[in-house]
Amino acid sequence: MSAWRHPLIARVLAIALGLVFVYASHDKIWKRVQQKQGQPLPTAVSGPAEFARVIYRYQVLGPNATLPPQVPNLLAVTLPWIELVAGLLLIVGVWRREAALLCGLLLLTFIPAVASTLWRGIDIQNCGCFSLAGEGRRAGLGLIAADAAMFAAALFVAGVRPQRSRP
Amino acid sequence: MAETRNPQRLRPWRVLAIVASGSALGLVWNSASGHGFPLSSNVYVQPGDQQVESAEAKGLIQKGALALDARPLWAYEAGHIPSALPFPEDDKFDEHFAALEPQLRSNLNVIVYCAGFGCEASHIVARKLKQHGIPAVVLNEGWPAWTDAGYPIRTGKQP
Repeated sequence: MSAWRHPLIARVLAIALGLVFVYASHDKIWKRVQQKQGQPLPTAVSGPAEFARVIYRYQVLGPNATLPPQVPNLLAVTLPWIELVAGLLLIVGVWRREAALLCGLLLLTFIPAVASTLWRGIDIQNCGCFSLAGEGRRAGLGLIAADAAMFAAALFVAGVRPQRSRP
Repeated sequence: MAETRNPQRLRPWRVLAIVASGSALGLVWNSASGHGFPLSSNVYVQPGDQQVESAEAKGLIQKGALALDARPLWAYEAGHIPSALPFPEDDKFDEHFAALEPQLRSNLNVIVYCAGFGCEASHIVARKLKQHGIPAVVLNEGWPAWTDAGYPIRTGKQP
């Protein structure tokens, strides 16, 4: 049996990936935005709406002349929970390969989304990956590299069928 | 048969089940938790925000309305609506406002624009101006709407 197929490797990678996804979902689900003194309160005062703001900035799913705000709003509401469910499954090790495959597919959509902002010259100071506060991680080449590394890990967890016992 | 009972086998329906359950939880959370927001509304637009279309904005500007460019200065210099003044949306609102206050107070129509649908700056500037008693409106779809309509533009620092 190859050392790479040792069950422990896939399990550790799955837990690490799961923690990243659970952490990524946290602000988008739970955050409450505090109104600054004297500042106008934005319409959106919670994590899901703040995440919608970030999605708008990517200008991939709208809103625009053809795509109504429901499209990015639905993603803002559902994606964090999909991340949370998939992350928890990866951590506890239930449906691990499927959860990893889903995380891989999600990462595979994040990479062109970020790359397209670079291509179109859209400066996104906070990629909305983890924190939704003003000074988040910039959507750039470093982020693409991180996403690609996590994609590789997800693919590994999804693809390797751990051998429970020798035949 | 042994293969189908193998707990390690990858089953695509489980991927769909995770997506479906996550989506359902998200929708329930959005409607019932108090953390949600109305799905049908643009989160950049607040009740009370007023927007004008590019054709109307052009007419108003020709009649003397003051246009404000809420994008960063480099974007303003790369191309802006003729007669528009730079009013970048940053943490120096008070400075920008003090510099332009006489013009803002003497204009009945103030139109703020930024980089289009993915840009919230014009809404933020217009909202802050309203707090200072300036009835500012936002150019819907901003700069792209203006250029797509083929309206004149100006480059450089001159308004």
